[in-house]
Amino acid sequence: MSQAEATRIRDDLAACEREPIHAPGQIQPHGLLFFIDQTSEHILQASANAEAALGFPIRTIFGSPLNAALGVDLTFKDTLGEPGRGRYFRSIKLNSPEGPVSYHVLAHQHDGGIVVELEGIPADESELVDAYSPIEQFLTSRAEDGESAGLANIAAQVIRRVTSFDRVLVYRFDEAWNGTVIAEDRNERLPSYLGLSFPASDIPKQARELYKLNRIRLIADAGYSPVSIVPELNPLTNRPLDLTFSTLRSVSPIHLEYMQNMGTMASMSFSLLRDGELWGLISCHNSVPRQTSFQRRAACDILCQILSFQLASQERNREGQHLIFLQRVQSQLLRYMTESPRFIDGLLEHPDDLLVLTGSQGAAILFERECHLIGDTPAEDQVREIGRWLYEAGAEVFHTDCLAERWPKAESLRHVASGMLSVSISKLEGSYVLWFRPESVRAIVWGGEPDKAVSGDHRISPRKSFEAWKQIIQLHSTPWRSSEISAATELRNSMVGIVLRRAEEIAQLNSELERSNKELEAFSYSVSHDLRAPLRHIAGYADLLRESSETSLNDKAMRYLNTINESAEFAGTLVDNLLHFSRVGRARLDMMPINFDLLVREISRELDRDSGGRQIEWNISPLPTVEGDLVMLRTVWRNLLENAIKYTRDRPVATVEVGFEKKGREFVFFVRDNGTGFDMKYADKLFGVFQRLHRMEDYAGTGIGLANVRRIVARHGGRTWAAGELDKGATFYFSLPEKGISEAV
Amino acid sequence: MSALRPILLVEDNPKDLELTLTALERSRLANDVVIARDGVEALDYLYCRGEHANRAPGHPAVVLLDLKLPRVDGLQVLEQVKKDADLKSIPVVMLTASREELDLVRSYKLGVNAYVVKPVGFKEFLDAVRDLGVFWAVLNEPPPGATDSNGNGRRPPE
Repeated sequence: MSQAEATRIRDDLAACEREPIHAPGQIQPHGLLFFIDQTSEHILQASANAEAALGFPIRTIFGSPLNAALGVDLTFKDTLGEPGRGRYFRSIKLNSPEGPVSYHVLAHQHDGGIVVELEGIPADESELVDAYSPIEQFLTSRAEDGESAGLANIAAQVIRRVTSFDRVLVYRFDEAWNGTVIAEDRNERLPSYLGLSFPASDIPKQARELYKLNRIRLIADAGYSPVSIVPELNPLTNRPLDLTFSTLRSVSPIHLEYMQNMGTMASMSFSLLRDGELWGLISCHNSVPRQTSFQRRAACDILCQILSFQLASQERNREGQHLIFLQRVQSQLLRYMTESPRFIDGLLEHPDDLLVLTGSQGAAILFERECHLIGDTPAEDQVREIGRWLYEAGAEVFHTDCLAERWPKAESLRHVASGMLSVSISKLEGSYVLWFRPESVRAIVWGGEPDKAVSGDHRISPRKSFEAWKQIIQLHSTPWRSSEISAATELRNSMVGIVLRRAEEIAQLNSELERSNKELEAFSYSVSHDLRAPLRHIAGYADLLRESSETSLNDKAMRYLNTINESAEFAGTLVDNLLHFSRVGRARLDMMPINFDLLVREISRELDRDSGGRQIEWNISPLPTVEGDLVMLRTVWRNLLENAIKYTRDRPVATVEVGFEKKGREFVFFVRDNGTGFDMKYADKLFGVFQRLHRMEDYAGTGIGLANVRRIVARHGGRTWAAGELDKGATFYFSLPEKGISEAV
Repeated sequence: MSALRPILLVEDNPKDLELTLTALERSRLANDVVIARDGVEALDYLYCRGEHANRAPGHPAVVLLDLKLPRVDGLQVLEQVKKDADLKSIPVVMLTASREELDLVRSYKLGVNAYVVKPVGFKEFLDAVRDLGVFWAVLNEPPPGATDSNGNGRRPPE
């Protein structure tokens, strides 16, 4: 390693990522490299070892045609493929000072010219390479074993047969570019790496990019001394020659050290691509240096491409089958939902389908303030808390395989909810369907500690040890598959559709309700008119009868007549009150700030005036100003205060206490008297229409006053209740929201 | 000749009719009372047609109009009266059992002069009718320049 290189890689791994590995300015020594002009085919650059191979000073060959320099007749014009695509020409013999040496000639267009590589033919390479029967073996065997691991195993075996390397590994990358060995074929010379994982840093990003462009890498001898390319710069670009597509390209010294640490002196790797993306690698290792001919490499490359296609199609197939399965579950769930009066009942009645849809162990549904739990889930209040957290985050579809990472409180829920997938049903209500997965403690067996160490002398050093290093992944669930996420998303769309349709149905119901309300109004109208008329007639004729027969009727008959009269008038009042009551329920609220203090004092003065000189002790605390309908709330206070006066009439001094308390976001008002009270047994009857707790002759009234109170308070978004004891007075309460309510249509 | 013009009472229910007539009688009004049993009859009287084609000319002092009537109801009669340039100066009092505010609003929109919900108690009813009669049939003078149905100017009282 040169001093300059050692300095360059000293700092850290980031340097590794920056290393221009495609243009190292050097090649491996098992071949010669010439860079020639595209049209004149004059030599522009050559590897320094050409001098020894050809037997004359290298500076003499620059500017001469390649054929003339080598004494051969290679034809490049019109025979090269598209730029970057290498091509084998033929083998040639060059007369070196030590005698004739055979080379395979490979060439490709790149970097403005033609890169011609002469690979030395390995000594043990026979004339003909049988690359066909191993490939055939692979093609026929794959039918018998459809599993990707099985397929990869066969590929490893076949490639080892073709290349005669000691060990062949099939790697598969995960999303983070960590690689795991999923198949292996080897002899006893190199240890097994099967099942081990290798961190992404083992193959830096720019190396992965290179692997996509050039599918084959080859290092014949990890202990080689690199050969420089002269002159240093490509005269066409003034930069070091781009060796992206070269087979002789020299590799990073870090990589060579890494190889030697692994005990492998020769390596070769093939890219497994899926849809143009690196999916995995097949990596061949040999304990001693080994060169592999172009034909063998080509055979392996074809095999790897077939394997890539096979694996990709298998994966697509599996994913497709899984999707079909999920779609079936999904359409079942949709059917259940539409068949249920409440769509979430459709889900709740088929918990297994809901779980299987996303492959979860638990699920929860938050809907209309309800919380339903299915299977293994956090407790209800925890689920509600997650719901609130999601609502603040505002995601429609959310998934994570490590909830604790996003929401630290989830750490204690690891056994049920390390992973979570959620979809929102309705934006307004913060309604969600959530799926949970438990922690799945995964052991990753790294091939050595996953971080490359920087040793004491600040020189970057690839791992010295490849003993398995186990890392336990905690707080993670198995990751959500994209098919599961899209199944959940589609379920969400169905639910949102149902919610919308239900909303339309509700709107329709509302309009029907409005119509029947109108009918009810018409009914009230005719009740008012038709019922009042006969009552009026009874009262009228009874009066006429009394007047015309005053002298001839005895006292008893007169009393009967009076009773008829009173009854008719009372019935008339009942009808009027009932109509008023129904109007209270229908009339629009006219909201405005109301000073309760003024209002209550005014009513109390009114009642004082009408009390016929009774002694009433008013005890009214200062009251707040509240938003509401003045006319209606006046009715409320008047009813309550009137009742207080009415039921204290037996007391020498009536005391009426009025006050309020602020509880949370509402006011609670009360009216307390020292009157006749009531039995709490009947407390719930107090506010009913025409419900009375006292005999008519004791306390007059139609029994609708408190029903009106309750109705008006309810329409203001409040509640009504009462407490009392026979002969010990009563307290009537009502609450109103602090801010008033905007009336629902 | 007496200046007292008749009261037109429009009422379909015979019992209400009897009670109202009794009440009017008790209130000692000198006005004649003309009875119409539905909206059609009322309009016939006002327009001097049909049964009333040959009646003495002149508008009634007041129309006491029930709201619910067969054939043409009270609101329709009211509407017709108030949109007719010749009739609209006749005071119309709605006499009805209904407390429905919708009727009240509609009546006032149509230009009713008064609206009385018949009380259930007969005494109250008597009082109401008496007050109505005194105000509308006796005290309430037609506006100056109002004409009778013959198109003649109103004659000065003799």
